[in-house]
Amino acid sequence: MPLDVAPVFRSYETQRTLNPPGIPALAPPPEGETEDLQRIAGRFGDDILAAGLHHGNQVVYARPGQLKALATFLRDDPQLQYETLIDVTSVDRSELPLDGEARFQTIYQFRSYSRNQHLTVVTDCLSGTEGNGTIPHVDSLTSIYRGAEWPEREVFDLMGIRFDGHPDPRRILMPKNWPNHPLQKQAPLGGEEVPFTFTWDDPEFETLGTQILAAESAAPDLPPGMSRQNMVINMGPHHPSTHGVLRLVVELDGERVVSIDPDLGFLHSGFEKTGENKRYKDFVYYTDRMDYLSSMSNNLGYCLTVESMLGLEIPERAQVIRVIMAELQRIASHLFWLATHVLDVSGTGMSLLMYATRERERILDLFEMACGARLTVSYIRIGGVWQDLPDAFVTELKDFLRLIPQKISEYEAMVTEAPLWQERLKGVGHVSAEDALAMGLTGPMLRGSGVDWDLRRDRPYSGYEGYTFEVPTRDSGDCYGRFTLRLEEMRQSVRILEQAVDNLPTGLYKSNNRKVALPPRAELDVSMEALIHHFKLMTEGFHVEPGFFYHGIESSKGELGFFIYSDGSAKPYRLHVHGPSFNNLYAIDHLSRGEMLSDVVTNIGSIDIVLGEVDR
Amino acid sequence: MGIEEKVPEGILTTSLDSVINWGRANSTWPLLFGLACCAMEMIATGTARHDIARYGSELFRASPRQADLMIVSGRVSNKMAPVIKRIYDQMLAPKWVIAMGICASAGGPFNNYAIIQGVDKIIPVDVYVPGCPPRPESLLYAMDMLRAKQRRETIGAGRKVEEPLAVEEITPLGV
Ligand code: SF4
Repeated sequence: MPLDVAPVFRSYETQRTLNPPGIPALAPPPEGETEDLQRIAGRFGDDILAAGLHHGNQVVYARPGQLKALATFLRDDPQLQYETLIDVTSVDRSELPLDGEARFQTIYQFRSYSRNQHLTVVTDCLSGTEGNGTIPHVDSLTSIYRGAEWPEREVFDLMGIRFDGHPDPRRILMPKNWPNHPLQKQAPLGGEEVPFTFTWDDPEFETLGTQILAAESAAPDLPPGMSRQNMVINMGPHHPSTHGVLRLVVELDGERVVSIDPDLGFLHSGFEKTGENKRYKDFVYYTDRMDYLSSMSNNLGYCLTVESMLGLEIPERAQVIRVIMAELQRIASHLFWLATHVLDVSGTGMSLLMYATRERERILDLFEMACGARLTVSYIRIGGVWQDLPDAFVTELKDFLRLIPQKISEYEAMVTEAPLWQERLKGVGHVSAEDALAMGLTGPMLRGSGVDWDLRRDRPYSGYEGYTFEVPTRDSGDCYGRFTLRLEEMRQSVRILEQAVDNLPTGLYKSNNRKVALPPRAELDVSMEALIHHFKLMTEGFHVEPGFFYHGIESSKGELGFFIYSDGSAKPYRLHVHGPSFNNLYAIDHLSRGEMLSDVVTNIGSIDIVLGEVDR
Repeated sequence: MGIEEKVPEGILTTSLDSVINWGRANSTWPLLFGLACCAMEMIATGTARHDIARYGSELFRASPRQADLMIVSGRVSNKMAPVIKRIYDQMLAPKWVIAMGICASAGGPFNNYAIIQGVDKIIPVDVYVPGCPPRPESLLYAMDMLRAKQRRETIGAGRKVEEPLAVEEITPLGV
């Protein structure tokens, strides 16, 4: 039976804020100068509308016509060398006081690894016509940075901006017959009314069950570029080795892969739209559910972004606790990756799954001690952490740190030297450093190809500059290299943990700024002021100065970035998540071409994806 | 479906019932199928510490044809809904469904355009497990409830007991 009920959207919208602080505002113009900005301004002159620093990031506003020229210059100029386009996103400013300015803007994050520079480029979208409506459009950067392909498709899908010259302008996340572009401001949040009464005659019940659209899950037409001369098979969305609900359309010549077209969005949960309807502090709980294997890192990335926009100082102890949690999470995530990778490749290798999850359970126990939850922790909050570590935590952690190195070596001994394992991994899924940079890969996918870059060391946050650790790299660029690399990363995490636990300072575990961080529970019983702050934070939240900011952290899978555009209210005006899995998964076609079908499974495991983060 | 529906109720069918139900309740094979965060806890339930093998359910089957139980472990998006329906239809009767977590039960934190507010909008659900995500222990308790339910099924048609389960019927494993 086809499910063809038209979507019914909730008629009411949540108020943006209980107490609007004046009018929403556009981002202020950037100020200041740097070498790079001078060089760009010198080359482009009047085509650069504004350039400067904003929240410490270099920002350039460029005319839309000059976007491609600017990107080429950024990449090729020997003094700039921005090798990678990290992220593409967009903002619909229709609810802001525009004064005739363009409604849509696209925002690009460029990164120079060799020079350790980050640059944000903002450009207005032109408006064109299609049928009898106007549509925003802008030049595509795919011809300059290959990795722009998926992010641009995502922007088109969710925001409706067309990219001129894009090789494959299809929707990427939503079903192809979806009626709107959900992130546009006039598109409703959707959902159903929650019925609060108990009579079935109530009109509230009318919306129940109407959230279903005739979503054509299996697109019947062939993806562009594939030929029926070859065999085209379908992997997923229900497949044991796709690590979730990923669908791959694989074109095969015999058993060799000719090309792969991933079909995403089976777990699209509308995180970004939801974020725009939540207060800043309430979105922390959602970040857990994105990359659910590294909830702590997700919490951390989001909180750091908001804190940087607020200019909030985090107490020393909170910083160290955050580092402990983030590194434990990295180990947990890598252990799970190891377990599933071995399971995928060997088909029946259940033993490593059992062993690795045994140690992972210990880490989850530690999390549980700290915050009561195993998986969706929400432990790291804006301003610090939720509550202080219990006394037994440090002892338990030390215990764990004594145990884990030996376990890692044990797992290594189980597979690393095994001839079958090497056969399946060595030389498989090769990606060169140039390709990795062009495709915008991050994390182990980048380091596995020999690019020596780790945000913890090169753009430190949370006090990572105070720890000694190595950033392992591998030159082979294949699955085997990435495998040994991740094992080594676990050892380095243990090193960081040992230093952190030895130097855990005493003091506050969250900021004393009552305008942002909740007062401790005990204070509420004795202090009226604390009660007022608590009430104010819980009902209204806090306001963030107008502006925008991108901040990335090194999560277990790569660079996890958050982009927030604030209009001065208590909710983000636009919230975008740069998930490392999303960009890394883009490489699957490149990695698998010319290899066997069974290697596709190896490659998926080696990229280490979490679908919650890919689809968001 | 077959001859058993024509047979009148009697000693033969009730004894047969208890044998068959004993078998079904002790070897319910789940479908190897994870959706979101809850799937991680489902996997944790399958591993050594929580050991779902005590229920005879450690054999997660990738093919819906070989599975008896679908654990809907996570949020169901509009794009995924038809797929889940198709997979459910492909499973052979008798089949059961556990809606694991608040997302699968009622949409959870995602009351928005993308997520269906409860998998029971598209397939029938036997046991709902609250939690976000439910702990492995919760899932095991859901298995207990399912076993209680399975134990009172009969092979004959139209003789299903419709009263809700009493708490005493849900015996923890081994009791
Ligand atoms: S119930 Fe919670 S843990 Fe489970 S899928 Fe939903 S958000 Fe994730």
